Amino acid sequence: MATERYSFSLTTFSPSGKLVQIEYALAAVAAGAPSVGIKASNGVVIATENKHKSILYDEHSVNKVEMITSHIGMVYSGMGPDYRLLVKQARKMAQQYFLVYKEPIPTVQLVQRVAAVMQEYTQSGGVRPFGVSLLICGWDNNRPYLFQCDPSGAYFAWKATAMGKNFINGKTFLEKRYSEDLELDDAVHTAILTLKESFEGQMTADNIEVGICDQTGFKRLDPSNVKDYLANIP
Amino acid sequence: MASVASPSFPDYSTQAPTQHMFSPYADNGGSVVAIAGDDFVIIGADTRLSAGFSIYTREQNKLFRLTDNTVLGCAGCWCDTLTLTRILKARMQMYEQEHNKTMSTTAAAQMLSTMLYYKRFFPYYISNILVGLDTEGKGCVYSYDPIGHCERASYRAGGSAGALLQPLLDNQIGLKNMQNVTNKTVSLDRALAVVKDVFISAAERDIYTGDKIMIMVITKNGIKEDSFDLRKD
Amino acid sequence: MSILSYNGSAMVAMKGKNCVAIATDKRFGIQAQTISMDFPKVFQMGPHLFIGLPGLATDTQTVMEKLRFRKNLYELKENRHITPTVFASLVSNMLYEKRFGPFFVEPVIAGLDSKTGEPFVCNMDLIGCPNAPEDFVVGGTASAQLYGMCESLWEPDLGPDDLFETISQALINAFDRDAISGWGATVYIIEKDKITTKELKTRMD
Repeated sequence: MATERYSFSLTTFSPSGKLVQIEYALAAVAAGAPSVGIKASNGVVIATENKHKSILYDEHSVNKVEMITSHIGMVYSGMGPDYRLLVKQARKMAQQYFLVYKEPIPTVQLVQRVAAVMQEYTQSGGVRPFGVSLLICGWDNNRPYLFQCDPSGAYFAWKATAMGKNFINGKTFLEKRYSEDLELDDAVHTAILTLKESFEGQMTADNIEVGICDQTGFKRLDPSNVKDYLANIP
Repeated sequence: MASVASPSFPDYSTQAPTQHMFSPYADNGGSVVAIAGDDFVIIGADTRLSAGFSIYTREQNKLFRLTDNTVLGCAGCWCDTLTLTRILKARMQMYEQEHNKTMSTTAAAQMLSTMLYYKRFFPYYISNILVGLDTEGKGCVYSYDPIGHCERASYRAGGSAGALLQPLLDNQIGLKNMQNVTNKTVSLDRALAVVKDVFISAAERDIYTGDKIMIMVITKNGIKEDSFDLRKD
Repeated sequence: MSILSYNGSAMVAMKGKNCVAIATDKRFGIQAQTISMDFPKVFQMGPHLFIGLPGLATDTQTVMEKLRFRKNLYELKENRHITPTVFASLVSNMLYEKRFGPFFVEPVIAGLDSKTGEPFVCNMDLIGCPNAPEDFVVGGTASAQLYGMCESLWEPDLGPDDLFETISQALINAFDRDAISGWGATVYIIEKDKITTKELKTRMD
């Protein structure tokens, strides 16, 4: 207890009014693997690169695209361990909500609560901000949702976005390709194309991950399924 | 309730007093409903005999013919019912032999009250409803508490579903809280329909009431018996 | 005697066709002594949502305030009205938090779903075990009497006027046979675009 008194928050204002710790965290995100999310008329897709340094790596045992509840999924750019903590918390918050209200948590609610956790880590003593930005996709109220959650605790609702390495190019690409009445299949296609923009080397079903969410709920696509989409890509 | 004998350890006996328990009463459930009209009275009782969550039988008649125009309905502790009705019948036979006439409904009603109060400090644990025709041939209903309080009414519900059914009779037969109603007398057909209806309702919510009802209709022509099936779960 | 029957109350809620009704007595007493004949026990929690809290009067008020607090927070957080089903879960959850030192109330909830207009009635025991049947729910010291009344008076698909007549007769005749509830009654009939509140005159003894 006594030590807690002196464990000040590491995130403190610089004289110019910036929180440099948060800027460093955003830098960690911008250096992380790219990920994209696109809303379609009948669903929403999230996708990310999952490249491995060695051929000895067992690709499909650890995933970056994760389900939070049956109708919400999540992916990240940045630091893996930080992400897994947030996944754990998000899952817990979703179940907590269901326990109290006997109703699945609305995507907006989950995003707000996850963002609150991330914000807390910018103001608490003895901790550092999360080195991740999240893409949270969901389906409720009979429509798709796509949110981005930053280390600062800021969150944004997107029609389509890209994060991580080369995110500026990714966004420019999406701005050109996006249209409101996209079908989910086309959105998956576009998401993969966006990743391909900055992809170094051969893109295979083993080095990208795709998750989709529609009326029936969230699911991570099987590699075989991803392969079918890749087959349609020049 | 049969209990397993506790093991005895004579080597460890003490001088301390030992407590022995005996509960002389059982609640065997059951409901009774009676409605009196101008020249008839009907009484109905369900035929379920139960204790706790078990049913002893689904066809136990709880209506006792005391005379050709008097019937007693009993709900509560069945062993007390058996004893009470046995003594009651004996007393009525003694009356008949002493006075050379059958006991009137009103006299039987008064005697029942006396018999119940006689056991004021070890009561018969029964809700009694006694019905019959009075000396003018009008239907009458007497209801009792276990220690002999007696009240004449024109309709009554008693037993395990008494609390459920009495307000219903107030409303449907007593026409309580009804505006612009004039017809105060109840017909036999209406009374029969209400008795069946209220028992159906009671069987929905009271686990001690169900299986079947026995109905007795008492008119100047004697007693007619009828029965009606209820839910058996 | 149970703390639940310290003050006395009678409450009932019924489903109708595109409408629901909730009715309550107005007595507040301490055991056999009547203190007040205008004691509110049913509270509005939304445009089409009511909750009745029969039981210990002090807990009636405390639980109402705690529920209003949680409901207001929910509505601010989620920027939408709470639905009857969600509200029932909220109540159930709050009562179970006090599993080993409960509030002595047995809530009765009645409402229409704001989207579908589906009628909803629900009651609970004092630790929040919910029960949402297709017909009616009752609560309070006159619950046995109310079960008897409702079981034979209620029928499916009653319109608002018939529902009012049915629930009123059920409540009045039930609490006339309960010594510690009654002394006037209030009935709320909830329809999609209208809420009717009716005060009933009853025998006052």
